[in-house]
Amino acid sequence: MNSSKPTLSIVPTSGWQAINLPELWQFRDLLTTLAQRDVKLRYRQTSLGVLWVILQPLLAAGIFSFVFGKVAKLPAPDGIPYLVFSYAGLLAWNAFSSTLTKTSSCLLQNANLVSKVYFPRLALPLSTVFSTLIDFGVAFVVMIVLMLVNHIAPTLGILLLPVWLLLIVLLALGVGLYASALMVSYRDIQYVLPVVTQFLLYASPVAYAAALVPAKYRLIFEINPLTGLLEAFRWSLLGTGHFPLAAVSYSAIITVVVFVAGAFSFKAMERKFADVI
Amino acid sequence: MSLLTPAIEVTDMVKDFRVYHRTFASLKSHAAALAKTLVRRESHTGFETRRALNGVSFSVGHGEAVALVGRNGSGKSTLLSILSRIYLPTSGEARLNGRMMSLLELGAGFDGELTGNQNIFFNGVILGLSEDAVAARYDAILEFAELDRQAMDLPVRMYSSGMQLRLGFAIAVHLDAEILLIDEGLAVGDEGFQEKCFAKIEEFKTQGKTILMVTHELDHIERLADRVLWLDKGVLMRDGGVDEVLAEYRQGYAHG
Repeated sequence: MNSSKPTLSIVPTSGWQAINLPELWQFRDLLTTLAQRDVKLRYRQTSLGVLWVILQPLLAAGIFSFVFGKVAKLPAPDGIPYLVFSYAGLLAWNAFSSTLTKTSSCLLQNANLVSKVYFPRLALPLSTVFSTLIDFGVAFVVMIVLMLVNHIAPTLGILLLPVWLLLIVLLALGVGLYASALMVSYRDIQYVLPVVTQFLLYASPVAYAAALVPAKYRLIFEINPLTGLLEAFRWSLLGTGHFPLAAVSYSAIITVVVFVAGAFSFKAMERKFADVI
Repeated sequence: MSLLTPAIEVTDMVKDFRVYHRTFASLKSHAAALAKTLVRRESHTGFETRRALNGVSFSVGHGEAVALVGRNGSGKSTLLSILSRIYLPTSGEARLNGRMMSLLELGAGFDGELTGNQNIFFNGVILGLSEDAVAARYDAILEFAELDRQAMDLPVRMYSSGMQLRLGFAIAVHLDAEILLIDEGLAVGDEGFQEKCFAKIEEFKTQGKTILMVTHELDHIERLADRVLWLDKGVLMRDGGVDEVLAEYRQGYAHG
């Protein structure tokens, strides 16, 4: 029996709120429980189940290597097979887009929880990261197989791979947190986001190398913080290109800013969720 | 944590909801309103305010069982939701002294796709227990719910409302809360289970736990409550003993 009697004061709040990390820690089992539910339920009633985690990027890489490699005859750097090259790009891209898709829709999808049970709302978007990372891990095994089959040895740069992955996920989380909170009031966001994501897929060096972008578009191209991260990711994994130090530093700064801004806007909009949802 | 401080203390509670009317005469006015909305992040023209609670104050002592009555839309559930930390008040304050647990809706905090077994953990954790704490209570919850093992392996969406109530109530009473908020919880169970719930609530009362419940079943109130609060249109009409308030409430209801 819990003998301490905490006193809780419920009063109106306004403006920017601090993020209650001790409470989030107290609810840490909630993060893992939500993540487990995510994993348990995702591939129910599919006959191929978890295989989709591998098939989806493989099929997309197949299409990219046909369209970009065979039809458009774009070169993959350093003689790497186009399939391997685009699969590596998709590996990073999927970490971004699946984090963004899952976090942005998590409040609406859990509307019945949000409107009936109190818990730190931040747990919902944060918990989606687990299943994205599991997907990444599974798809990464295929990456290793592809590299072995094609005799591509990783360089020491692979040690930095977790850093790029972390930044990619944080960037997506930042945007996703903001989008999820906004989506509660403006359902328009759920129709806008897929269009933006689709645009970003082609505006970022996923299916092609950044080096192929003409010099006069370079600046606009590199405003997108994903550009540096995707190039760095592939540099770490396949040793392609050179290490994009300037682009990566820029991306890292933008990522941190976007993530912090996303988390605090989520917190600021949080108190309206149950009223509106 | 002195017993002299009330378990629940509500002061001048006001809650406004915004009711948006999103009807726009033309695409152009729609675009203009949208632009305004996006710039200011909220529209100052397209809604009106509905006051669900209007200056409600009361307190509930430790070990008291209090029932909230009032017709539909009187603000009972809004009040319970604020105390459950779902909504924030527009103004006023609520203080809770002690670990609070709320059961706002049948199956709230269940995921319909998860099995009964999985939902014991899912619901328990979402209500603030650690996984180990749920595991420690697991057998007691199963025993209280009296659902057979086969049912526990089915997704909860296949449960009848009575079965959901059994599981939800069984989890709720095993959370070791000192303050329980219950909204319409007991109406759907069969008689045997209702009896069990009554017994549990009476046991809670003897343990000094505090209960605030919303119900339309006046005989439940007569059996369980020490006091009744009567809300009408967001205003607290009466706060007093069960017999006197219910008598007035019945009369007020009859005269509608």
